[in-house]
Amino acid sequence: MTLDDMSLEGIMETLPLTEPVLLILLSLAGQPQHGYSILKDVERMSAGRVVLSTGTLYGALRRLLDDDWIERFEEEESPRGRQAYRLTAQGRRNLQAEIDRMKHITRLATLRVATKES
Amino acid sequence: MLAVYQRLLRLYPAEHRKFFGEEMLAVLREESDENADKRLFTRSRFFVREIAGLVTGALREHFRVWLEIQEELSFVTGRVAMRNGFRFPKTTIVFMTLILACVVTAIKRGEDIAASVPNVNPPLPIHIQPVHSILLGGIPLLFAFFYAAGLIGWAILFALRRSGVHRLADMSGERQ
Repeated sequence: MTLDDMSLEGIMETLPLTEPVLLILLSLAGQPQHGYSILKDVERMSAGRVVLSTGTLYGALRRLLDDDWIERFEEEESPRGRQAYRLTAQGRRNLQAEIDRMKHITRLATLRVATKES
Repeated sequence: MLAVYQRLLRLYPAEHRKFFGEEMLAVLREESDENADKRLFTRSRFFVREIAGLVTGALREHFRVWLEIQEELSFVTGRVAMRNGFRFPKTTIVFMTLILACVVTAIKRGEDIAASVPNVNPPLPIHIQPVHSILLGGIPLLFAFFYAAGLIGWAILFALRRSGVHRLADMSGERQ
């Protein structure tokens, strides 16, 4: 088993991601964000369907920090030294793996449904 | 609202509070400001959601700390340590239930046989309660009593920060 296979296996063990975690990661995929902007972004992306509480958000951030999927840093332009979060290389890799998994399922589902209809 | 939230933040483990406490309060302040001029229903929903999220989040964090301590213990003391996994085989519950059902059925059958052969044994002068009725009535009651007593005791220790979780957390803090 190669190193790549092993890391891929590690990633696959953590998938599929829950919707809130996926949305948090997607929110951080574009640019670093602080807590409040993540909450608002998640709500916007899900068209108001997923509204996270502060407790839920920080629980998820905690786990993602522990797993090294995201990292925390102090915003430079913030007057009170506000903390912000960004994806790590590992987090981005894992997010990509999840997106690939979803693409595969969507493709498969489209094919199966189309076959059934014809 | 912020005062309530600040108090409820104490439910979290100290380490989490130190790391995220101020940030969580800042986020909630921004959210409260945003909701201030909204309808009562929207504000109430926001309040309930935040409080529920905070309580469940605190429970989850305590559970996480507890799991970490278990892992550390199993690492330090090797084989005799408590493990993270649930070691009680689930099939045991099925077998125990089956055995109990068999015992109760056997007692019932015995009673039926005794009843079908009248006057063989002279009636006893005192009334003896059947064993299974004592078992079925008494054991769950005793279990519920001791379970409730244990739960209350644990809640008191937890409130006083003297529970096993807190002591082990202190120990691991000292070791670090």
